[in-house]
Amino acid sequence: MVPPVQVSPLIKFARYSALLLGITYGSIRFSYLKPYGEEDRRREAEEKKQQEEAARIAKELEAQEDTILK
Amino acid sequence: MSGCHGHGDAVTRRTGAGDQDYGNQGRSPKPGLPCVAPRSPATINYSRPRLATFWYYARVELTPPNPAEIPKAIEGIKGLMQSYKRGRLSELTVREALRNGLVATEILFWFYIGECIGKGGLIGYNV
Repeated sequence: MVPPVQVSPLIKFARYSALLLGITYGSIRFSYLKPYGEEDRRREAEEKKQQEEAARIAKELEAQEDTILK
Repeated sequence: MSGCHGHGDAVTRRTGAGDQDYGNQGRSPKPGLPCVAPRSPATINYSRPRLATFWYYARVELTPPNPAEIPKAIEGIKGLMQSYKRGRLSELTVREALRNGLVATEILFWFYIGECIGKGGLIGYNV
């Protein structure tokens, strides 16, 4: 087997500092984006509820009217 | 079938053609426990030598820097800046530049892996 190569300390330092920076960046961005995600989900749920309400009302109206077309 | 033989039996047994490797070679895992015959799946048999080669290289190449190596790293950065000031950039061969580009790309990949760990997912932020 090829013997393992001795990596220079600069590269090792750069690698692990990049890893740490990435972890902090990911967690910071996640905590920044989390309220927006919750807002989106809340708004979607509200809109869905309103749409269901409108559909229910439309169905009731349709059931009430008596035409000979149906 | 080769089951669990107990504690004091001979360790070496002739392996026949249809023998299965039960991982513990028929011995009990700990002296006080009852003898069990675990069945080691093919994945363990497949991955064990590869894991060994991985550790063989990772223990030298992938370890984090010691506290003693950090001054050397800082010296390396200073050396890079000095060589940039002296205009060594024009003396760079394309091969060297490609090699440095590969190293820089690998460091960038470590950043992305860190971001994946920080955001808790592989693709996208699961908000």
